[in-house]
Amino acid sequence: MELRFPALVLWIAMALAAFVACQSESALARFPHQLHLASIACGAPGKPACLSCVSCHDIATHDSGQRMPKAALCERCHRDTHQVRAVLAVAPVRPSGEISIDHDKHLAMPEIRGQCVPCHSGVVDPKRPSLPPMSQCFGCHEHAEQWAQAQCTPCHEPAALRRTMPQTFLKHDTAFLRHHGSAMAERSQAQLCQTCHTQAQCQACHDVTQDLSVEKRRPEQIESGQVHRGDFMVRHAIEARSQPARCLSCHTVQGCDSCHAARGVSANVANPANPHPPEWVGSNPSSSNFHGSAARRDIVACAGCHEAGPATNCIRCHKVGGYGGNPHPRGWKSARGVDAEMCRYCHE
Amino acid sequence: MVPTEQAVPVHEYLFANARDVDAPWQKDSIGLEFAAWGRVWPTDSSIERPFDGDVQTANIRLEAGPAWARVGRQQVAGGAARYARFDGVMVGARHLGFFLEGYGGFTVLPRWNDRPGYYRLGAAADTLLTYVPPTPLRGDHWLMGARVGYQTQSISGSLSFHDEQVTGGVGRRNLGLDVGAQPLNVASVGASALLELDSMRFASARLWLDATPHRLIDLGAEVLHTEPALLLSRQSVLSVFSTDGFDEVGGTLSAKLLRWLRLDTNGYVEAYRGTGPGARGEAAARIALGSAYPTLFRVGYSRVIAPKNGYQALRVSLSRKLSHRLSSTLEAYGYFYDAAVAGYKTSSMYAGTASYQVSDPFEIMWTASVAQSPYASFDAQTMLRATYHFDAAAKPRLR
Repeated sequence: MELRFPALVLWIAMALAAFVACQSESALARFPHQLHLASIACGAPGKPACLSCVSCHDIATHDSGQRMPKAALCERCHRDTHQVRAVLAVAPVRPSGEISIDHDKHLAMPEIRGQCVPCHSGVVDPKRPSLPPMSQCFGCHEHAEQWAQAQCTPCHEPAALRRTMPQTFLKHDTAFLRHHGSAMAERSQAQLCQTCHTQAQCQACHDVTQDLSVEKRRPEQIESGQVHRGDFMVRHAIEARSQPARCLSCHTVQGCDSCHAARGVSANVANPANPHPPEWVGSNPSSSNFHGSAARRDIVACAGCHEAGPATNCIRCHKVGGYGGNPHPRGWKSARGVDAEMCRYCHE
Repeated sequence: MVPTEQAVPVHEYLFANARDVDAPWQKDSIGLEFAAWGRVWPTDSSIERPFDGDVQTANIRLEAGPAWARVGRQQVAGGAARYARFDGVMVGARHLGFFLEGYGGFTVLPRWNDRPGYYRLGAAADTLLTYVPPTPLRGDHWLMGARVGYQTQSISGSLSFHDEQVTGGVGRRNLGLDVGAQPLNVASVGASALLELDSMRFASARLWLDATPHRLIDLGAEVLHTEPALLLSRQSVLSVFSTDGFDEVGGTLSAKLLRWLRLDTNGYVEAYRGTGPGARGEAAARIALGSAYPTLFRVGYSRVIAPKNGYQALRVSLSRKLSHRLSSTLEAYGYFYDAAVAGYKTSSMYAGTASYQVSDPFEIMWTASVAQSPYASFDAQTMLRATYHFDAAAKPRLR
């Protein structure tokens, strides 16, 4: 069944949905703090009491979600309850997760003099962020040692960091995925990565024995770079040829073979179907279809079906004295003697 | 002929994690982690087991001064180990920037011996595997290793050793070197090498540079050399065959052109000795709008050129928060193959999700996909996911 027409309809629907979604944002981008703090007539007889930060925000509460004022407080002055709730929904984005900060202690410091604005300058300057960036904390605090040891606590809570990625130090951009293993090895296992990540998170991708793969379990992560998303079944042979060693990051060659064997395309099943072209083996090594060059280029693909220990059919021709010739590279050496079990398959 | 079955498998994932638990000898010095999954197959099947499952992680971590130890099912990753799971012990210590770690134990083997364990789109037969390799002897599979390193604010590096034994002898015996440096705030460099000790040849070597020349621009460059045969088990006959190396050079560029628009591109050229070059690359635009109800739209085009075949792919993704509790995503993929696969030159897939946050810790998600591929003229899948986060004890400590 071809899906060409439904496919076209769906592509158009996606584009339309994107257009509509992009047009439909109506909530306020930012709360008008300056208006409330400085532009409302207050204090005079018949006027409301002047507002300060603590009029609305209770900095002593233990849950940041409760630091936002209740709707009832706003509704003392604002009658449009729908708008009040829409405005309250515009919670500030916390780019570094929740910060464990002692507000009372900071407010008592002479440099701050009980004012919120020195850190939260965005409430009066729309060009600045409402929440202080980490560089502002570093303006007063020296954390060189903690930085070097990747100790994000006690300022950052591990639970909060879980959904946060560093913006500068050890950025988790697309290139990072390619060398994240080495980045982990450079530092102590107890440090850095495990500040935010659990081992189970690593295994979400690396443990291929799970019944459901990570892209099946988390389909809502549309930005993830998981290689198996989409139609990987068809792509997998192309991907394997394109980057011959990449599959081995997670899979063993037995993993390939159990699937190929189920389809009868494996050297490990009786009467296998032969996927190779004519002259793949035989007496014409100059043929463009001859297996030698393909094997030299992508031996991992060969192992996907032909890795069967002493039953490996490559041995038949390539063992000592066989007409397939010596398969070892020039200058080959091994720490094992030829009496090692695996070596004896050929060096009998 | 592919047999078909009606199936409604139920999967359960369980994660439990406790950090910074106080011990009598030191504050914040005990950590526990447990992760497991299980599956029930309530419908009749002549092939699938009625129950399946595994423990992925189960360990306890103790700290005492500069030293620490972790006991139980765990993993070691990076460096010479690459990635390995084992049941055993890992110990370490750090002082003045230096660190030393060692580990040993029995390698964790797949429950029923390397069953792939992942479904692939468009292939019902993937769930109907009948071939089971011989059972390995668990006592033959063990590993050990160590790592020594040094890290400061701007440089870090380690030398690592990993030895993994399988039935018959050495499976892997590697020496790893990993170094990284951030000489400037806007640039970092790194390198890694994996030496295969049995043949004394480099299995892989990588060099990379990441830079942020402007706060809105990220650049990355990388060179990689790999000898794939040396990454096979040393008990594989094929691992001693002469093979060609594989080299790759490329980079990434990410530019935030506008507050709501970001462009991501990457391109790599691959050289296989003996055959023509290959290449892969992607260009994507990402549009993010809104703060209360964010909308994310991404469209990407990718191209892969590989020996014998390649493909072009178009991927369109949309994520939209519809209300305070309701979110949705839509995705469409189109693949266009250079050479026909099983007689087809295209395949396409469409997927969508809808998530509802019932309460702060409880979320329900429904997802569905339809596809057409060379291996299945029509494929439809759906899944219902319920997630509950027991994070109550991990609230921020705001005073």
